[in-house]
Amino acid sequence: MPDREPKIVGFCCEKHGIDSVDLAARSGRQYDSSIRLVRVPCTGRVDGTHLLKALEEGADAVFVLGCLEKNCYYDTGSIEGRKRVAYVKSMLSEVGIEPERVEMFNASSSMSWKFSEIASNMVKVAARLGPIGSRGGGR
Amino acid sequence: MKRRVQVVICRTCSGAADVLDVDRLLRVASDAPYVGSAVIVNYACNKKSISEIVDDAKSKEVDRLLLVPCSKKDVSPTLFQAYVKKAKMNEFLMETVDLVGEAALPHRDDPARAQAKAEAKLLAAIARTALLEPLHKITEDMRTKNVVVIGAGVAGVEAATTAANLGMHTIIIEKSEKKLKVPGVMMTKSRVISTEGHAGNYSLSIEAGEKRETLECAAVVVASGGDWSDAERRFIDAAPDSKPLYQLDRDVSEGKTPDGTVIIIDTPDPEGARTAAQDFAWEEALDCAIEIRKKSPATEVYLLFQEMRAMGLAELAYKEAAGLGVTFVRYDAKRPPEFDSEDGNRVTVLDMAQDETLSIAFDALYYASVSPNPDNIAIADALRIPMSPSGGIRRGSIQRGPVTTLRPGIFVCGSAKFPKSEGMARLEGRAAGLLAAQFAAAGEVESGGSVAEVAPEKCSACLTCVRTCPYEAPFIGVAGKAEIAIQMCQGCGMCAGICPSKAIELHHFTDEQLLTEAAVYLRGDF
Amino acid sequence: MIIAERKPLGEIAMMVAPHEKVTVIGCRSCVAICLAGGEKEVDTLVSAMKLKSMNEGRTQYFDGFVLERQCEKEWVKEVEDKILAADVVLSMSCSLGAQTIGDLYPEKIVVPGLNTAMFGVPEEQGVWSEKCLGCGDCIIHTTGGICPIARCAKSMLNGPCGGSSNGHCEVNLEIECAWYAIYERLKLQDRLDLMDTVRPPKEWSTSHSGGRRVIVREDAKLTPHQIRGKEASL
Repeated sequence: MPDREPKIVGFCCEKHGIDSVDLAARSGRQYDSSIRLVRVPCTGRVDGTHLLKALEEGADAVFVLGCLEKNCYYDTGSIEGRKRVAYVKSMLSEVGIEPERVEMFNASSSMSWKFSEIASNMVKVAARLGPIGSRGGGR
Repeated sequence: MKRRVQVVICRTCSGAADVLDVDRLLRVASDAPYVGSAVIVNYACNKKSISEIVDDAKSKEVDRLLLVPCSKKDVSPTLFQAYVKKAKMNEFLMETVDLVGEAALPHRDDPARAQAKAEAKLLAAIARTALLEPLHKITEDMRTKNVVVIGAGVAGVEAATTAANLGMHTIIIEKSEKKLKVPGVMMTKSRVISTEGHAGNYSLSIEAGEKRETLECAAVVVASGGDWSDAERRFIDAAPDSKPLYQLDRDVSEGKTPDGTVIIIDTPDPEGARTAAQDFAWEEALDCAIEIRKKSPATEVYLLFQEMRAMGLAELAYKEAAGLGVTFVRYDAKRPPEFDSEDGNRVTVLDMAQDETLSIAFDALYYASVSPNPDNIAIADALRIPMSPSGGIRRGSIQRGPVTTLRPGIFVCGSAKFPKSEGMARLEGRAAGLLAAQFAAAGEVESGGSVAEVAPEKCSACLTCVRTCPYEAPFIGVAGKAEIAIQMCQGCGMCAGICPSKAIELHHFTDEQLLTEAAVYLRGDF
Repeated sequence: MIIAERKPLGEIAMMVAPHEKVTVIGCRSCVAICLAGGEKEVDTLVSAMKLKSMNEGRTQYFDGFVLERQCEKEWVKEVEDKILAADVVLSMSCSLGAQTIGDLYPEKIVVPGLNTAMFGVPEEQGVWSEKCLGCGDCIIHTTGGICPIARCAKSMLNGPCGGSSNGHCEVNLEIECAWYAIYERLKLQDRLDLMDTVRPPKEWSTSHSGGRRVIVREDAKLTPHQIRGKEASL
């Protein structure tokens, strides 16, 4: 177990993504405070390099939160987001880093429960895996 | 550029101050780099506060604002407009950070951690605000107040009527030669061939009979309807007297119930492609069946279907119909009902529930499904909008509204989207007409601001952005490099994210701005 | 254009493992377009390699940038300082670029980050297929515009082999039989008579089988008078 709080950064779209975060808060949901969100207009804006650089800067885990794929405000943005996350996951596997550190999530603005699920999910991953390099070198 | 941030923390009515130490936030802000002034106000949204904030901004010579408001959504846009005007600040040099929704409320149970997160968010937001660049929107006048409606069906006429009542000049493009009394103009034997321009100033190329015409308009409503003729074709040989369901609906509402045995049937499609189109029909079919059984208990009613989906409150109708003695017969798509070749009024069908073949002699047959209009492909292509998997015009994300399409200024209603009853089509037509009129009434259209831009020296002309953008904003320009058409750009940043040569930046969400925010978070305390 | 694919990261890591300072150089041309070695792929690779070092508790320095076209000496020479300062150059260009750097700076170790695969076309975004083998003697005017040298697994010249099955190749059922495609194309163009033309055995000396090829345009070469002093050494 790591001896510091998990460091988790989420790239969250300004449409359904952030609305679901907002609704969660206003519905009284509580979740772990280890999450920090960077807003993007659409998860299609997110580049693999953003996710990797966040890990380089010390994040234990990174996620991307966008609209449901069939209801993306910009039509295909969250599909693009998913593809970018998938590519980063495969690169992480290739260098011996756990691909679960990076994840894609989708929500609609009415899903008040979703963000606390996401937070809890990512905190578990970060707590289990610890910072990169803390488990002594991967494979 | 000065890059001096004014941080305004609103103590707010939200109760956030119960969780967060606002004075401490003020100290954190004051000590942060790039901050020229940090103030707390009690109600940022009132005139007096705005004046005070503006005076402070001027005296401290700041050039940008970071507001810590009550919430992401409740912040009044007029607050910003007032601020921009009084402080003479570029609207894109203003940012908000939601400490209430992202720190105070969700971490109420742990005020120390809530405070740490609020401070981290504040510092990251200050760092981001410092990196913002002034951006300018362009306003273009709409050249016309024209609303073009494609299709003179139920939805189309309703849309045109609504838009005309609101002062727009409507032009209906109708493929057939039918004559109707409609507002504005109706062009018959016409169809849309192609579109140029952008929302507010579309330029449609119309084929009208033998001639080609160009029509300028501010907005377009697609109301091409469904293809009843397809269903008719399937039944006309087997059951010459068969009629579409909407005819039964009209008759029943006028009090005319048929005698004898009535069959309402969906359209058998062994390929199973039609079942998706059936949903709307069942509400209508059930309502008709119930009316018939109530008014004329001697009339037998059979519902022949592959899948019945009575949704929501229609389930109660299903129960009521069954209680009134309506017979439900479910058949397998691969073994559709067969019409007797000699007796045009007899149908044989294998009832899956009872595993029994029924032979039903009927007096009236109504077919209850409508296929997507095959013209939708050409219309979608002409207007450059996507289609849905079931052959209709795809509607935009539900957050944009149910009668919108992907492209701003182009709306869709009625069975053009997916099959629906007459009543529903009319309602959607009204909605689309209203939105189109509202859009056109603005008289001008804004673009620019947080849009994408290509650095030509980095562009590989690989066409990736051109292929990825849903709005067709990128194009290869005269220099052989990609360019973004500002009036088409919706600011999503998909092109910026995907460009293999990192030649595209999305203003207001540049790589530097996003990565700096993340880096400030990660350098700080969690 | 040239289509290449990034080598597996494990392989790349092994190639650069003995070196402390890795300079990654990409290219804005073909490999950027086929999403293997443009600036984004260079950045991504650098990040992934840095993360690998972090994960393994090692230190290794990575620096990345792109050139307009890595196979042109002038562009490579623009970054001479960076190349000379590198412990190893990891080229994210096709092999042409990697070799250009190596030829210009023979004392530097240059390793290839990509596998250069083929001359190909984008069939759709993200899918590239081979259409030309560079045989040096193009005959597609006799085959309806479809190259049997590249698109037939056996480079057959006169119709399909017995393994052509339902329009597909016996080598890989997902590949269309080139001769099936040629037949259909000639039928469309009403030129099936070309199917009856007998093409003699191919003159392979114009292809790589004749040895490394060099093509010269005498009228384009600079005369000694034209070559300025500092370019003479090129």
